[in-house]
Amino acid sequence: MVADAFRLKLELELQLPGTDLCVSLDTRTKAVAIVGPSGAGKSTLLRILAGVERRSRGRVTFRSEVWQDSSSGAWVSPWERSVGWVPQDVLLFPHLSVRENLTYGAEPEASVTEIADLLQITPLLDRRPKRLSGGEQQRVALGRALVAEPRMLLLDEPFSALDRPLRAELCQVVRSWTLQRGVPLVLVSHDEEDARQLGEERYRLSAGTLSQED
Amino acid sequence: MHTNDPTSRSRPPRRLLTTFGVGWVLAFALAVPVRATPTAEAQDSALLVLAAASLADVLPQVALAWERTGGAPVAFSFSATSRAATQAVRDPTADVIVSADLQWVEWLRERGAVLAGTALEIASNDLVAIVPAGASGITSAEQLGGVTRIALAGENVPAGRYARSALEAHGVWAEVEPKVVRSGSVRGTLEWVARGEVSAGVVYRTDALQDSDVALAFVFDSDDHPHIGYWAAPLVGSDVPDVARAFVAFLASTEAADVFGAEGFRLPSESFDAEQARSGSSLGVPGVASAIRLSVIVALLATLVGLVPAIGLGWVLARWDFRGKSIVSALVLAPLVLPPVVTGFLLLSVLGTNTPFGGALASLGLPVPFTLLGAALAAFVVGMPLYVISIRGAFEAIDSKYEELSSTLGVTPRRTFLRISLPLALPGIAAGAVLAFARALGEFGATVVLAGNVEGSTRTIALAVYTLLESPQGQEQVWLLVGASVAVSLLALFGFEVLSRRQKQRLEDRHGR
Repeated sequence: MVADAFRLKLELELQLPGTDLCVSLDTRTKAVAIVGPSGAGKSTLLRILAGVERRSRGRVTFRSEVWQDSSSGAWVSPWERSVGWVPQDVLLFPHLSVRENLTYGAEPEASVTEIADLLQITPLLDRRPKRLSGGEQQRVALGRALVAEPRMLLLDEPFSALDRPLRAELCQVVRSWTLQRGVPLVLVSHDEEDARQLGEERYRLSAGTLSQED
Repeated sequence: MHTNDPTSRSRPPRRLLTTFGVGWVLAFALAVPVRATPTAEAQDSALLVLAAASLADVLPQVALAWERTGGAPVAFSFSATSRAATQAVRDPTADVIVSADLQWVEWLRERGAVLAGTALEIASNDLVAIVPAGASGITSAEQLGGVTRIALAGENVPAGRYARSALEAHGVWAEVEPKVVRSGSVRGTLEWVARGEVSAGVVYRTDALQDSDVALAFVFDSDDHPHIGYWAAPLVGSDVPDVARAFVAFLASTEAADVFGAEGFRLPSESFDAEQARSGSSLGVPGVASAIRLSVIVALLATLVGLVPAIGLGWVLARWDFRGKSIVSALVLAPLVLPPVVTGFLLLSVLGTNTPFGGALASLGLPVPFTLLGAALAAFVVGMPLYVISIRGAFEAIDSKYEELSSTLGVTPRRTFLRISLPLALPGIAAGAVLAFARALGEFGATVVLAGNVEGSTRTIALAVYTLLESPQGQEQVWLLVGASVAVSLLALFGFEVLSRRQKQRLEDRHGR
């Protein structure tokens, strides 16, 4: 079990517009970074892991759990996966305050204080999402995923609206948070710098295939 | 309550066309007179005759006889006498008016549209009581006091006034009055009696003869009520006054009398009684306050009853994909394009007290026809399409990724709906409710068929306006209700605008992106 703590296995055949994507990934690494040009299917890969998108063929396993197996029909719904997904388009709930966004999906007793401090969003807690800058929104979206105590973290271009120094700082925060809790991380980005900072293993997704980089 | 012949429960669709098509649709839609003659030349010389709808079968036959004697071609516009008369004042190109009521001829004379002494009585009619075909037991006016429900024409149309006089003459009006339901037209009365929704009705003899599903119970003595006469008069605005006068004279001739007689009409009475023309003019004016109150209650009920189904349907149509979705969508939207009278007719066919479903409701103490419940249901069904369209639009405007994201945070679809989708769509749902409310306020056609025109329980603003327009005295009073109707409707639409804008703002979450 211990050996399997970080095991993530993906065998997918994706029919994307213009490409047939065959993904085969078997990793026990704590942090995987996937880079590649836009349109290669990076976001789709995360959506499949989060369970919000379902392809007719493929097999996804996490630790000893089978999340999807098209040959047996097995399927685990997204709300049963406990995955922290931070999508590229942020998607803060517009009718809720920052604090309500952070606690959405968390246990009632969960405290947002620590995470808000880590992400430097404490002064924003009572604001509405539309009053935030793009960078602030990205940090709140990350915070919302962390407060829910996920078993895996999926980050889709999480820092694109932040300036360089803050980016590096937040990469550190995310890295230590996941390591402390033993939570595997999958990052997709077209930014090589983010990928180098966060990814222990780096893959490149292009022309429909996933290949490991060093 | 008399049980009806079972065959009348599943009436052939033709009836829908004949009964409602001719009766209401013609009466409401033909505000613009149609000149049927083909050539432009003939059109110039054709006489335009505005005539009472109850003469729609007989007058064309009389016109044929007139044309055979070398008379100019005649084009008819049939509608209720009240509409024909107001039309004659507004559109001075018409040549002749044929009224089912002397009061309206007097009204036209007061406005200078008809010259004194030019109107001629051309036929008369009897007042009869009718029962569903096959029903028995009623042979006298005294027995009408014991029925459960009786259909009469509106109190401001002649048939309604005459029926009241006749029942008063027999001393049963006080007993009958609480059981009266008012129909929108004589065809409505016939339909209700034929279906057994009411145990009896009072109509003209010629109307009773048109429908084989009703039986003539008895004929009122002509002394029981004011004389029922049909009057024709040339209109002052006619381009061909001589021809108009000649046609009126022909209508009163013995050749015409033969045609009228064959259709069940009687000869005109000898004497012209101007006093009689004004009799009953003080009769019932619909209560303005009651109409406004009822409209608001009916519209609120329709809106509240519709809320949950509209949200459910809006959600299903916005987010679900399933076989037969377009059929569900078409069914929901159907009342938007169906003529409301057709919707009302279909509802009556499902919810009438003689139908299985409507009967079950009635036995639970919830009868639908002629009740506030019926009026609210009619308004609910007719308002539903706008309700669902608005709510569906509100849900569709929400990026479904919010729902996806909520699910990754461990929240089930049901809780996601309650915590994300519903709150985000709230202003749109409110806008839909306001729109449905406004539509319910304006509802007329389905209500008059399903729920009738019953003062104090189903006579809403629209029906009260309709009732007032039937009466020469109502023409001025109607403005109060028209004003109320316009004000409430505009207010509702303004509310819709405000809420729609709020819905849009609610979804603007991103700043500078």
